[in-house]
This record gives sequence, structure tokens and C-alpha cells, in this order.
Amino acid sequence: MAAMSPSKRRLQRELMSLVREPPPGVFVDGDEVGQNLTQWIVHMEGAKGTLYEGEQFQLQFKFSSKYPFDSPEVTFIGGNIPVHPHVYSNGHICLSILTDDWSPALSVQSVCLSIVSMLSSCKEKKRPPDNSFYVKTCNKNPKKTKWSYHDDSV
Amino acid sequence: MSTAEEQPGPSKPSGSATDEKERDDRTFECNICLDTAKDAVVSMCGHLFCWPCLHKWLETRPTRQVCPVCKAAISKDKVIPLYGRGATKQEDPRNNVPPRPAGQRTEPETSTGFPGFGFGDGGFHMSFGIGAFPFGFFTSTFNFGETRPSPAPRGTPQFEEEQFLSKVFLWVALLFICWLVLA
Ligand SMILES: [Zn+2]
Ligand SMILES: [Zn+2]
Repeated sequence: MAAMSPSKRRLQRELMSLVREPPPGVFVDGDEVGQNLTQWIVHMEGAKGTLYEGEQFQLQFKFSSKYPFDSPEVTFIGGNIPVHPHVYSNGHICLSILTDDWSPALSVQSVCLSIVSMLSSCKEKKRPPDNSFYVKTCNKNPKKTKWSYHDDSV
Repeated sequence: MSTAEEQPGPSKPSGSATDEKERDDRTFECNICLDTAKDAVVSMCGHLFCWPCLHKWLETRPTRQVCPVCKAAISKDKVIPLYGRGATKQEDPRNNVPPRPAGQRTEPETSTGFPGFGFGDGGFHMSFGIGAFPFGFFTSTFNFGETRPSPAPRGTPQFEEEQFLSKVFLWVALLFICWLVLA
């Protein structure tokens, strides 16, 4: 325990506070994550009164040893990938805080909240216009994509 | 199927003293590692960090240095160290990080001292400054023959060097005077 790296220690703290006070619609299995702090599954629920009400999603977080200086790799996984203009059908998310606008003061919790609000503000369920091309050509790691964040209004 | 209400996990201790203490602790947590800030510094925008944490972030994006919390511009010279009372030193904070920037003390304003030697802000200042400058040199130049508080011993390289410097200053002073006379 004493020899825990700074990134692991911070992840441990985040996990504790997320298990203790999860934001609405977000759930983390502390025991499951605690096994291997570098990869988390976060369960998410579509907020009431939005297009995603009643849907369940799973987000995968992967952390490098440089976390929190390096952003986590965040993708939707599992059988239900939300249909949203910023979410590709392979689970990749076009969200600036996950790359260019990342800051070490952000956290799993704040990323989850951003994604919840991104889903909640959606007016029409549809895939990004370049979905089929992107999914065929992209790297497995969404952080390798050169995203252009032009459309923040959706 | 009748399970008791009691569930492990999310139920928080309701003691308000615990909550309050926790909040107190959090106030002084570094915004990066989420631990109590070590070698604490505060940015101009008021955000608290460990110096090693903030330094690492500044190194991560050297071309775009912003406060991790509020995105205000931030730089090494513009953070203020915080010195608590009885800060104990358990470990060397400078392993591979440059020392934390020092606090800056500004002396209280006093009206004595050398009047502004500022070029470019008005003719009066300029002529006054140039007039006073050579005399400053004179006094320091012409007393090298006399006893000085601690002159370097004769024959040492330092002595030679001082002699040389004195001569240089003398020439500079003379040139200044010529220039003043001719101008
Ligand atoms: Zn820190
Ligand atoms: Zn700030």
C-alpha cells in the first residue's frame, strides 16, 4: 500500500468518493474496479425527461501511468451505445475535455457529468454524419483521433 | 425477500463533526493529486496546488500553460508559495523538481533613493539621469588608490582584475564627460 504510485493513489481517492457519493445516474462497482485501478467500468443511466430516459450505458475508462496529467481513454462499451451526434457506433466519443481540453483537475466524476449533460442536451437521436467512414478507419484508441471540435451546440 | 434498509457503501456517517472536518481537509487539498497540498503554491487566480504537481502540469503543456481549475493563464513566476505555521520537512521536495518559487517581498515605499534613471519618459528625467550617472562613477572610480574596506591583496588575479575594471570605468567616465561637454 505504501508504494502506491501517485496516479494509483489519486485513482483510489476518486474511487472512494465516487462510491460514497455518486452523482445521479452514475454507478461504480467499487469492488470490481478496486481489483485493477487502471481500468474502470462506469454504469450510466439516461436522465429522466431526456431522449435517453430508461436506457443503460456502460463507459470504459482506461488510465495511463501519467494520469491525471494525461487524459483517460473513455469509450462507451457493451450492447447499448447511445445514438448521439457525438458518439460513434464503436463507442468513441467526440468530447473536447477528453483530449485538447483535458485538465488534471478534472476527474472520472466530472467526465461522467459532462457525458450525462452531453446526452441530456441532445435534441435528435442520430449518429455522427461520418460514422461509417470513421468506424472503418479509426484507431482503436480514440485519443489517437485528431478530433475537430466545431459543433458544440448539439 | 425482505431485506433490511441497511446497505453497505453509500450510507454516510451522519456526524456533522466528521463532515465538517472532511470539508476542512478538502479546502487544502491540491487540485491535482487530491491530497493535502505539499509545498503548497497558489496561483494568481487563487487555486491551490502542490508545487511538484503544478510544475509537472506546466511541463506537460509548455506552450499552453493554464490553470487546471479555471483555465486562467498561469506561469512559474506567477505563483505564490504558501508557508504554513510549523511546516515540517519530512522529505526533500526538490528531488527532480526545481525549488518552489520564492515569495516576493516588496519593500515599503520610501521617497529617498536614486531618482528614476528612466529613458523615454520625459525630457527632465532623462537629462537628470544622465547628469547624475557619471558622478556616481567618479566617486567609485577615483577612490581606488585610497584605502577601501576590503581591497584584494596585491598580486592576486583578483587585484589585477579590479585594477583593470577601474581603468575601464575611468575611461567610460571620461568618455561620458567628453560627450556631455560636446553635446
Ligand atoms: Zn498535489
Ligand atoms: Zn485558477
